[in-house]
Amino acid sequence: MISNAAINSPVIKCVVWDIDNTLLDGTYLEDRQPRPDPELLAVLRELAGRGILHALASRNPAAAADYVREVTGLDFAAVECGWGSKAESVSRIAAELGLALDAIAFVDDDMAERAEVAAALPAVLVLTPEDAAEAADWPQFNPALITAEARRRGALYAERRRRHADAAAFGGSRDEFLRRAGTRLTIGLARPQDLPRLHELSVRTHQLNSAGEPVTEAELAAVLGSAGHLVATVTLTDNYGDDGLVGAAIMTRNGAGPWSVPLVVMSCRALGRGALDALLAWLCRSAAAAGASELLIPCLVTERNVPMRLALAAAGLRAEPGSVAPDGRAVFARSLAGRLPDLPDWATEQARP
Amino acid sequence: MTGEPVPEQIVAAELRMILAELTGRAELLTIPAETPLFGTGVGLDSLAGTLLLRQVQRRYGVDVAAEDLNLDSLQTLGTLAAFIAARC
Repeated sequence: MISNAAINSPVIKCVVWDIDNTLLDGTYLEDRQPRPDPELLAVLRELAGRGILHALASRNPAAAADYVREVTGLDFAAVECGWGSKAESVSRIAAELGLALDAIAFVDDDMAERAEVAAALPAVLVLTPEDAAEAADWPQFNPALITAEARRRGALYAERRRRHADAAAFGGSRDEFLRRAGTRLTIGLARPQDLPRLHELSVRTHQLNSAGEPVTEAELAAVLGSAGHLVATVTLTDNYGDDGLVGAAIMTRNGAGPWSVPLVVMSCRALGRGALDALLAWLCRSAAAAGASELLIPCLVTERNVPMRLALAAAGLRAEPGSVAPDGRAVFARSLAGRLPDLPDWATEQARP
Repeated sequence: MTGEPVPEQIVAAELRMILAELTGRAELLTIPAETPLFGTGVGLDSLAGTLLLRQVQRRYGVDVAAEDLNLDSLQTLGTLAAFIAARC
């Protein structure tokens, strides 16, 4: 039975599956070649097609995960095979994928395991295999729109793992690695066909979202068509793979006065690759080139938004201490006279407004 | 003739280790306290910065982001060490 709290939970980005007697009909170590449960396999495929990731958490040797990959033919974005607690495994998976716990669902046939995870991680959506079999119909598993980026999400995470592994083994600085990896960032103006992806970004981003809330496609379309606004997009690619459109910002023109930025969003996949710093630098430089005096970026001040606040600080934007409004927002500002942040050498601008 | 190390210096030493581990760069073990954390000094970005603050919270129980609106304490290794030492 699902509680009301669960029904109102946000969109699930990753389902963590137990293996024995959940994904598989039988147990890996004891049964000979156990087959995947056909109903659940269909659900996995359906959800993957919607851009929802899958992960494995199992008390089994690592070979069990390889076996599951083989017999299901599916990509698993993260795997925790070991002998520790399921709650720890789920936490590690969330951290590895950069996801908040309320974006995770956990499926396990074992009541004790479900209870442990539910108690330790109340934000996680805990399901029985029977629940999971129906999950495809629930709102949490139905993103309103499935973009090309969403369909590629499983592959994108595989590319991300390879990039991380090479970055960890690389001896030089982060910037040197990004150059070596052939990182190419393009900042340009949004086009109408970018609308669905822009909306998806505003819905899915929590850590790197200055407004802290989604913007509807209609609102975005209005801003796109407005001469008083600028909508910038950031696309990111490197030798490991093409992440497509990863970030955006809306800027309000204001002649020679202060220009404000009602929204900055960036996919957390683009974290660590200079994309957010580049976008903020571009906003400063574009506004300055058009004669603006100051740049103002209202930002929700929460613990989830810390990566955004770090980028704002690094770009020289500051808020008045004690100025956080009742709605949790503060306005981070900087003058556009003097030295402005630089764009990294791997960033290209498509057009100056 | 040296005095007892003040907690701030111990915090700074521990921060160097955390930074070196986070970035995989051993040279950060010997950076001076005045080294800027953003920009060309240590070159922290949003990702590494978030992980650093998480480690600081775990290790010292100090929630820098909650107490420092503009993250001024992150200017240099020394300012961060001083901020933490004053609160733990």
